[in-house]
Amino acid sequence: MSLLDALSTPRLRWDGRHPNTVLVSLSLIMLAAFWSLDVVSMAPNRIVQGTSYGALEALGWPGALLATLLLSFIGILAWQPSPRHYRALLAAVMTLMALMPVGLIASSYLLIDPELPQARLGLGAAYWVVLFVLLLCLIEIRLRLKLTRLWPTLLLCGVALVWWLCATLWLDSLALVQEFKARDRQFLRAIGQHVTLVGAAVSISVVVGLVLAMLMRRYARLQKSAFAVLNFLQTIPSLALFGLLLAPLAWLAANVPLLGQLGVSGIGTTPALIALIAYSLLPMVRNTYIALEEVSPDTLEAAKGMGMRAGQRFWQVRLPLALPVLLEGVRITTVQAIGLTAVAALIGAGGLGTFIFQGLGQAAMDMVLLGALPILMLALVVDAGLGALAEALRPGGTR
Amino acid sequence: MSNSLSVAQPRKRAPLWLWPLVWGALLLLSVVAMSAAEPLFRWIEPDARQVIYDRADFYVLLGRHLLVVGIAALVTVVVGVSAGIAVTRERGSDFLPLVGQLASLGQTFPPVAVLALAVPVLGFGTLPIIVALMLYGMLPIVRNTLAGLQAVDIDIKTAAHAMGMTPTQTLRYVELPLAAPVILAGIRTSVTINIATAALGATVGASNLGDPIISGIVNGNMAYVVQGALTIALLALTVDSLFELLQRQLRSRLSAP
Amino acid sequence: MIELSHVSKRFGEETAVDDISLRVPKGKFCALVGTSGCGKSTTLRMINRLIEHSEGDIILDGQAIEVYDPVKLRRRIGYVIQHTGLFPHWNVARNIGLVPRLLKWSAADVQGRVEELMDLLGLPVGEFAHKYPHQLSGGQAQRVGVARALAADPDILLMDEPFGALDPITREKLQDELAKLQARLHKTVVFVTHDMDEALKLADHLVVMREGRIVQQGSPLALLQQPADSFVESLLGGLERGLKQAALTRVKDHMTSMGPTLPAQSRIPADFSLRQALSMMLRDHSDRLTVVDQHDVPIGELSLRRIIKEAQLDKGSARE
Repeated sequence: MSLLDALSTPRLRWDGRHPNTVLVSLSLIMLAAFWSLDVVSMAPNRIVQGTSYGALEALGWPGALLATLLLSFIGILAWQPSPRHYRALLAAVMTLMALMPVGLIASSYLLIDPELPQARLGLGAAYWVVLFVLLLCLIEIRLRLKLTRLWPTLLLCGVALVWWLCATLWLDSLALVQEFKARDRQFLRAIGQHVTLVGAAVSISVVVGLVLAMLMRRYARLQKSAFAVLNFLQTIPSLALFGLLLAPLAWLAANVPLLGQLGVSGIGTTPALIALIAYSLLPMVRNTYIALEEVSPDTLEAAKGMGMRAGQRFWQVRLPLALPVLLEGVRITTVQAIGLTAVAALIGAGGLGTFIFQGLGQAAMDMVLLGALPILMLALVVDAGLGALAEALRPGGTR
Repeated sequence: MSNSLSVAQPRKRAPLWLWPLVWGALLLLSVVAMSAAEPLFRWIEPDARQVIYDRADFYVLLGRHLLVVGIAALVTVVVGVSAGIAVTRERGSDFLPLVGQLASLGQTFPPVAVLALAVPVLGFGTLPIIVALMLYGMLPIVRNTLAGLQAVDIDIKTAAHAMGMTPTQTLRYVELPLAAPVILAGIRTSVTINIATAALGATVGASNLGDPIISGIVNGNMAYVVQGALTIALLALTVDSLFELLQRQLRSRLSAP
Repeated sequence: MIELSHVSKRFGEETAVDDISLRVPKGKFCALVGTSGCGKSTTLRMINRLIEHSEGDIILDGQAIEVYDPVKLRRRIGYVIQHTGLFPHWNVARNIGLVPRLLKWSAADVQGRVEELMDLLGLPVGEFAHKYPHQLSGGQAQRVGVARALAADPDILLMDEPFGALDPITREKLQDELAKLQARLHKTVVFVTHDMDEALKLADHLVVMREGRIVQQGSPLALLQQPADSFVESLLGGLERGLKQAALTRVKDHMTSMGPTLPAQSRIPADFSLRQALSMMLRDHSDRLTVVDQHDVPIGELSLRRIIKEAQLDKGSARE
C-alpha cells in the first residue's frame, strides 16, 4: 500500500526476520479460545439446555493435543514468514478446517450415551471462534500471497464439501443435522425461494437501475429528485416497508381481479419483491451512475477525436470501463437483498428467514442456526464470487 | 477561526439549521400527539378495534430506540476510529490489509443473521440487537476512517514530520482534522442505517419503535405499521439533517477547496 | 556545518546511497544534482533523520546526528519540499508559525516572527495572513513554504526540489529571490534539484550524483571547466557548456579599460553575465561592447577576443 507512512524505512514484506504479527496473534487468540471456551455442548433432547464441555473432555487428550499442535504450528510458521511458509500456512489452515468435523465425530463418540437416541451435540463457542479466526487467517494469507479471491473460494468450497460429507455420514447426533433432517424438504424449498426472490429482485433492479442512471445522466433535474426519493426509501426500516405494502396490495388483489389471478396478494411474494426492489434501487442506481460518470473524460474525448459515434463510444468505451464499478453495485445490492429477504419471511414470503423467526418463536436455537448459517454462507459466497468477477473484469488484470 | 473569506452560497435555499428543527419538531409531535391523528389512522384501518398503538408510549419507545442506536454508535465509533488509527500507524501497519478486508466483510453479514446468531449466546432482549448493530455499523466507520487518514497528502505528512511534529502531534493537529469530514460521513452513514435496522430488535424482544411495526404485521393492523415507520423515518431524517449541519460546519471551518 | 563521511543507505537488498562523503561549510549553499532516483533526496532526508542512514557518520556542528533527539533536531532544521506540504486546514500565518509554536514561543513572539518573515518574502501581511493554501498561487505557496522553514531561524535549510513544480517564469523569480535571501541570511543550505541551470545559478558547491554515488563535486565553475565524465558533461548541457560557464562570469571581471578607438554603440551593465554579453554581440552584429555602471556611465569595454582568451586562462587556472 503506497499510502502507508512512506517516511520511515520501508520494511520489506519478505524480510524473513520480521514476524507476521497478524498471524501470530490470530494463532494465540485461537489457542486461548480453544482452551478457555467450551468446545461442544451436549443435551439429552431438544428441549433441555445442554451441558458444556471443554477441550479435554470433548476431544480427549490426543485430539486436544493435535489441535493445539496445529494451532501453534500456524504461529510458529508465521514467526519467520516467507512465500514457502505462507503456502504451508495455507495448507495448515485448510487442514484445520477440514479436520474440524472430525473433531465433532470424536466428541460424539466420547460424550454421547448410545442409550439416548434423542441426544444432540451443539457447537460450542470455541468452535465458532476458531472457525471465524481461521477465516481471518485465510484472508491474511491470501493478501500476503497476492492470490485472487478465486482460489481461496474454491478451497473453501472443498472444505464445505468435507463438512457436508461428514455431517451426512457420521454426524447424526449434531443438533444442526437433526434439525435439518427433521425438515429437509422444507429447507430445500426455503433455499429455492430465497434464491429466487433475491435473483428476481436483483435482476429487475439491475435493469431499472441502468435505465434510471442513464436517464439521470440525460436529465440533470431527474437526478436530484430521484436520489432524494431513493435516499428517503432507505430511511424506512425494511420491516416497515414490508408491512406497509400489505394493505394496499391486499386491496388491489381484492378489487382488481386480473392482479388477483396473477397471484398478487397482500402477503407473500409480491410485497416482498416490491420492497426488495425498492431497497435495491439506491445502491444499484448510485453505483451505475458513478460508474458511468467516472470514466475519464480524456478517454472519451480521445474516442470522440478518433471518430467514434455516440453509440460506439457508449458500448465500446464507457460501458466496458464502467463495468467493474457497476458489478460492485450488483454485489452490494445482492448481499443486501440476501439479508433483507430473510426479513421478508415475516410477511409470509418464505425463504430461509422462516426458520429464523420460527426458531426464535419456539426458542429453538438450532433451528435459528439452520436459517441463519445458510444466509450467512450465501452472502459470503455471492460476495466472494461477484468480487472475483469484478476483479477479473478490471482491464489490465487484478489492479 | 476567522471568517474573512466569504463563502459564496446561493441564498435562495432555506438555512441549514432549519431542517433538523423541522424534522425534530415533527418527530416530537408524532411521539407526543400520535393519538390526535386518530381519525387519519381510522381511515387507514376502518375495521380495527383500535388504531393507535398503546402498549407503550411512543416517547418511551423512541427513548429505547435512541438508547440502542446510541450505545451501538458510541461503541462503533470508539472501536472503529481507534482501529482505523491504529492500523494506519507504523506499528499497526501489519494489520492494515486484514482490517480493511474485515471491515468490508462486516457488512456482508446480514443483520438478521447476526441477530439470530447473537440470541443463543446473549439471550433475548436488547443486547443481541446492540451487537448486530455494532457489527453492521462498523464497516462505514472503519472504511471511512481508513480512507480519510490515507487520503491525507503524503507531502503534508512529510512536512509535519520534517518540521519536528511528534507522531501524536501530527495525528492530532494534521491527520485527524483533515480526515474528520470523511470520518464524520462514515459515522453518519452508520448511524442512519442503524436507526432503521434497530427496528429488527423487536423480533427478538427488544422493545423499541419496531414494536408497533411487528405488532401491526402480526395483527394485520396497518395503522400500527404506519405509526412505527413514520416515527423511525422522522428520527432518521432528524439525525441525518443534524449530521448534514455538522458536516457543513466542519467543512467550512476546514475551508477545503 | 554539515559533514557526511562514507554514508550509505540500504533498503533491504537495494542500496539507495552508496558511500558518499560531503562537507558543507557554515553559510554555504550546496546543491545535489542528478537524475530522478539517484539518491539525492534520500541523502537530504538523512540529514534531518526523516530516513536513518545505514552506515557512515553524519555530523552536524561537530556532533553525530544520532546524539540529537530526532524531533528536536528537525525543529532546528528548516525543510522545504516541492509541493510545499502546507497544511490545507491552516491559514498562511498559522502555517508559518508552526515551528515557533512547537517550540512554545509566546503568542506575541510567534506573531511578530510571522509578520517579519512575510515581509521578508514579499507577502503583504494584510493580504495574505488569513488566506488558506488553496487560495494561493504556486509561487505564493512556495514562498509560504520557505517562510515556514525559516520561522524558527534555523542555521540549516534543507530544500528538496522546492521550485520543481512551478512554471519557468515563477521559478526564475523565486530563484533570484532565494539568491538574494541567502546573501542576507547566510544559512547553510543543502538544495536538491534535477535542474542543472538552477544548481549552477544558486550553488557555491555542486555535487553530482548518479545511482547512489557521488560522481563529481566542486565549485560550479570547476565542474563546467572539467567535467569528470560524459555523464556530468551531458548533465551540464554538452555543447552548451561554454555558454553556461559564460553565464556564471560577470562582465566586470573581464572588461578592459576604455581603448583609444571609438566606444562601441551597444552598452551593457557591468554586473551582467558574459552570456548576456555574448547574446548582445550576436544581436547587434558587433564584437565589442561598452560597459556601463548603474548610472549608465561608461567605465570600460569588453571584446569578443577578450572573452575567448579569458576562458582559456580560466581553464588553465582550474587545472592547477
